Amino acid sequence: MPTTTDRSQVSLLRRDRKLRPDWLLLGAYVALSAFGLLMIYTASAPRLEALDVSPTREVEQQAAFVLIGFMAFGVVSLIKVATIRPWVSAIYLGSVVTLILVLSPLGSSVKGAQRWMQLGPIRFQPSEIAKLAVILALAALLSAAARPMRWDRVMRAVALVAVPAVLIFRQPDLGTMLAFGFIAGIMVFVAGATWRQMAALTVAGVIGTVALFQVGQIKEYQITRLTAFLDPVTDVLGAQYNQFQSQVAIGTGGLFGKGLFNGTQTNLRFVPEQSSDFIFTAVGEQLGFVGSLLVLVLFGIVIWRVLVSAANATDRFGQLIATGVAALLAFHVFVNVGMTIRLMPVTGLPLPFMSSGGTVFVMMSVALGLAHSIWMRRSALPGERSAQV
Amino acid sequence: MTGTWRLAGVGIVLAVMLGALGLRLWTIQVTETDEYNAEAERNLIRVVPTPAPRGDVFDRNGELLAGTRASLAVVVDMGLLEDDFEEDLAGRLSAFLDQPASEILDRFERANSGAQIILAEDLTERQALVLFEHREDFPGVAVIPQPIRDYPGGELAAQVLGYIGKPSEADLERPGVKGTDVVGKAGIERFYDDQLRGTEGVIKYQVDAGRSVLQRLGEQESTPGDNLILTIDSGIQAQLQESLEAGLSLARDLEMAQRGEALAKENGSIASRLFLAREALQLEAERAALEAEAAAADPDEADTVTDEDSVAVDSVVEIDEGEVLGSLYPGLPIDDEGVCVPVQRVEVGVANRTLLSGIDERTMRLEAVVTDRSRRIAVVDIDGERFEVEEGDSFATTLRAIAITDDGIVASHSDAWCPVRAVGVVEDPNDGSIIAMASYPSFDPSAFVSGLTQREWESLGTINAFTNFAVQGQYAPASTFKAVSYVLALEEEIYPLDRPVGDRVLGDGGSEAAPPGDEDAEVPPGDEEGEVPSDDEGADEVEAPATPAPSDEELQPLTSDTDLYNCTGSLRFQFSDGSSQVYRDWKRNGHGPLDLHGALQASCDLYFWEISLRIWNERSDETGINNEDLWQEWARSFGFGTETGIDLPFEKPGLIPDRQWFREEQRKDTGRVRATGPWVGGDLMNAIVGQGAVLVTPLQLGNGFSAMLNGGTLWKPRVLSETVDQDGNVVSENPKTVMETIDIDPATTRALRRDFQQVVNGPIGTARDAFVGFGPGVATVGGKTGTAEIIKAEEDVQEVDTAWFIGVAPVLSPDYVVTVVVERGGSGGRVAAPVARQVLQYILNGEGAVTPIQAGADMD
Repeated sequence: MPTTTDRSQVSLLRRDRKLRPDWLLLGAYVALSAFGLLMIYTASAPRLEALDVSPTREVEQQAAFVLIGFMAFGVVSLIKVATIRPWVSAIYLGSVVTLILVLSPLGSSVKGAQRWMQLGPIRFQPSEIAKLAVILALAALLSAAARPMRWDRVMRAVALVAVPAVLIFRQPDLGTMLAFGFIAGIMVFVAGATWRQMAALTVAGVIGTVALFQVGQIKEYQITRLTAFLDPVTDVLGAQYNQFQSQVAIGTGGLFGKGLFNGTQTNLRFVPEQSSDFIFTAVGEQLGFVGSLLVLVLFGIVIWRVLVSAANATDRFGQLIATGVAALLAFHVFVNVGMTIRLMPVTGLPLPFMSSGGTVFVMMSVALGLAHSIWMRRSALPGERSAQV
Repeated sequence: MTGTWRLAGVGIVLAVMLGALGLRLWTIQVTETDEYNAEAERNLIRVVPTPAPRGDVFDRNGELLAGTRASLAVVVDMGLLEDDFEEDLAGRLSAFLDQPASEILDRFERANSGAQIILAEDLTERQALVLFEHREDFPGVAVIPQPIRDYPGGELAAQVLGYIGKPSEADLERPGVKGTDVVGKAGIERFYDDQLRGTEGVIKYQVDAGRSVLQRLGEQESTPGDNLILTIDSGIQAQLQESLEAGLSLARDLEMAQRGEALAKENGSIASRLFLAREALQLEAERAALEAEAAAADPDEADTVTDEDSVAVDSVVEIDEGEVLGSLYPGLPIDDEGVCVPVQRVEVGVANRTLLSGIDERTMRLEAVVTDRSRRIAVVDIDGERFEVEEGDSFATTLRAIAITDDGIVASHSDAWCPVRAVGVVEDPNDGSIIAMASYPSFDPSAFVSGLTQREWESLGTINAFTNFAVQGQYAPASTFKAVSYVLALEEEIYPLDRPVGDRVLGDGGSEAAPPGDEDAEVPPGDEEGEVPSDDEGADEVEAPATPAPSDEELQPLTSDTDLYNCTGSLRFQFSDGSSQVYRDWKRNGHGPLDLHGALQASCDLYFWEISLRIWNERSDETGINNEDLWQEWARSFGFGTETGIDLPFEKPGLIPDRQWFREEQRKDTGRVRATGPWVGGDLMNAIVGQGAVLVTPLQLGNGFSAMLNGGTLWKPRVLSETVDQDGNVVSENPKTVMETIDIDPATTRALRRDFQQVVNGPIGTARDAFVGFGPGVATVGGKTGTAEIIKAEEDVQEVDTAWFIGVAPVLSPDYVVTVVVERGGSGGRVAAPVARQVLQYILNGEGAVTPIQAGADMD
């Protein structure tokens, strides 16, 4: 082919030239993070003030995480995803081991669930790391899949997700477990699963979830009995009460909201966890429908740009990673916002880039960084996409 | 590539998800926002109930008996408490309130996140000030005002007032009672709880989810409970309580003297040594007093006294104080002051091994406590013999193991002979108002407010200090009940048969009571025939071999109450089975000739037994033509056998026995009556002198006497006079209620009053001795003594007497009826009358006229 050399030279040149950020994605990412900080401040300041503590204490802490997250995003953006590929198995296995460790006495318990891991001064949530590890592992597995996908590969994908999912379920963290299922489904679909395979996976997923739920009911009931003693917040009634209060708060926001710092419901502490899981409530109450929509639009932009990155990825590995990241973000947004308006049950899934919390912010930033890296190394020509498998 | 459409599909799915969120937000925030605003409003308001101050209780002169005083309590608002600060705060509060920090932390953790918990009540002013000044060190801690029930008189009228406490299950079913309330548990506090409690108010606050108060929005004030004005007179009440206490000590002293004398004759036991030591101390004191007196008067007499006493003093063995704590053997349980106590708690420990010494110097040691299949068994060595004691076992004759711990035995030690209690009631016979009512030992109701320790509760509980024995105690009324028969005799004109010579033999006339064919099982075989026709209208004239032949010409009834009957001191009663029993008067050699009036004044048993026998012989049948229950009807008409209906809780009905009751008890096999055999004349004989199965409460007796003395009006006794609101306006009056108007000839009432006067003032009166030196007005005092002999079946015929006295003043137009009973006290004339005497001295002549208590004559 006479044009081959040309093309590769051109692509090389262009690749260097096109190592440029996706400004739209960056803008939405930074906007969401800043918006998150503002909301954390409005939600936490009055309470902290009442306690005679610096009102900026919580927001300062989060700002530090945001900075770390930004740096992580930048660094990951510069790494070519293909270079990660040899490490994927190690990352996956490491993640599984950490998940096992967190269930051991090494893990620490907060609000009835054992989700934290302490490593020296750093405390993190292995389940958050696991999400990323599973996306990478799935991408690696599925990128080598034949088209149409063979059943054995589907089964291997299921097994790959099932191990950490079950471990996480035991923590118990139903939200994260379901997130795994959703992400895996999307990735398998994009990787080329047949409709029949998708249907079988869906059925198996539903049955599996229900079955686990049945088993889990008993387990959760026992855990609740035990943990309600230590912390009444975990009881079901309390969670439902909180959710209802959140819905009321958002409802009172109206079209334009009550204005910053005027969120009586959030500020009067009717809504719990208002700077972490229920940060969206603060948005809805203080900034109304307009503010809520703005946040959804920003997330829409981020997810759209990540999907576009997937579409423009130069290899299937990258494409699947970006797909997984898009699914991850969308699921978190849907479940979290859905929870605050009683569309979804209460789970511990935070709102990406906005909820306070270090592990989650950094992890989401890394995920977004991967997608961004793929975008920055997108193919120049449509025909080149995914061709070099 | 193929993947692109799939990615587009994913894009659509994710877009739909975000779209769904947007739609839902539109509904909530734009379409339905008003509803959420309304819901939010409701959220912010918290309604806090404010307790209503409990109404005060006053006596008839306006003296405060139960009130409410302000106090301060420490409250922790969990909503304001940060999780990580709990431990610090618990530590600080622990030091400040003197409670263990772990306990405080425990309460924090058990409390709901929004709850307020009361950590300490009734703070001292100093404590409150410290908390107030260091508010910043105690975030979430508040000092709030809290009303506290106060009984300024302490033990004054304690059992009448009752006490308050947390509501029981039953209390909670009453309308308006919540678990956090305090309700009356006994006495007036219980009976009039609804009036006293008032209606609680509410305060509306704006709050946050942590239930922290942000702003006070409004208040609906509570309505305090109504005040009660009682018919009680504090002065008389105080005197009654003081006299009851004195009377009980007197009874105990007499008991000690009596038993000690017997014991002292035995070997040199510790008890006898102790007794003699006590005697010596008393004699010493008396001698000193006499010497002082003699120095001023005749020196010769003083010498004689000294000589006599020195003999007794020489025989005393010195013992160290505290050497003896008590005795484990029947005879003489004593406290460290050498006075007997009815019930005491004894702890037998492993550590000290030797515990108490018995009167015969046997010793008891606890060898060990062993556990056998979760049961604890204490191995006790008594005089070298080994016994195994389990919980609930009786051992060492007078001990009962309440609990066995690893360390030893906790046992109750009861003395069946020690005078246990004194009860008194003062009633106005003109309207049934209770002027004073008490039983001793008593308690201080304030103790319930600050909380009793387990030990205090137990020790007060074992002596039943909380019980109002005036309405809850049931006793045999003994000779006081002769007044009922007295009225019956006069009204029905039934007097003894005039054959008062020698050892009379009378028949068990009506023992065969069941009509033929009716419940034959109850009729002892062989009794069907040959019985005395019990009623004088028994026309069949059956020959009655067992019947004493009343053939004597002189066997005519006395025709008037002034005809003399010769009391010889004993009377033989012939049962239908041929056996007989001799009934003896409390005065062994009899009272000699006396009429009805003399019989009442001297409390002659025989006279009234004769009356009962006439009722029995002439009326006993079940045909209904003749009423064999004549005496029971008279007794019931004066309110005996049923509750008086007084406005106090837990009142007991007492008991007036009759044939029907007797059968019922037999059928149910309650063990209160003979297992076999019918209701016999002897039962009526017992009943008519207030013995046997007859039971009355002290209140009942006083109230029944009031009816006899006021001409036949049976009042419903009352403690509450009227209910007034906080401004002093009368809300309601407690009406004076007539329960029954008994048709009595005014002459009967006059005679009764006169004879009562003679009981105290007459030459043969049983209370004469007790009222010597009464002071002015003794002539206006009347009364009746009573001594109930309780035979303790399980012991070797040991009798424990209940001492009664009913005093009346002014006797010819009574305003006060004073009822006194000393449980196990001895005779009425000796112990109960002196108590009533003091109360009457107070009533008639004022506080200064009350003379020290001293024993009266040992008369029925």
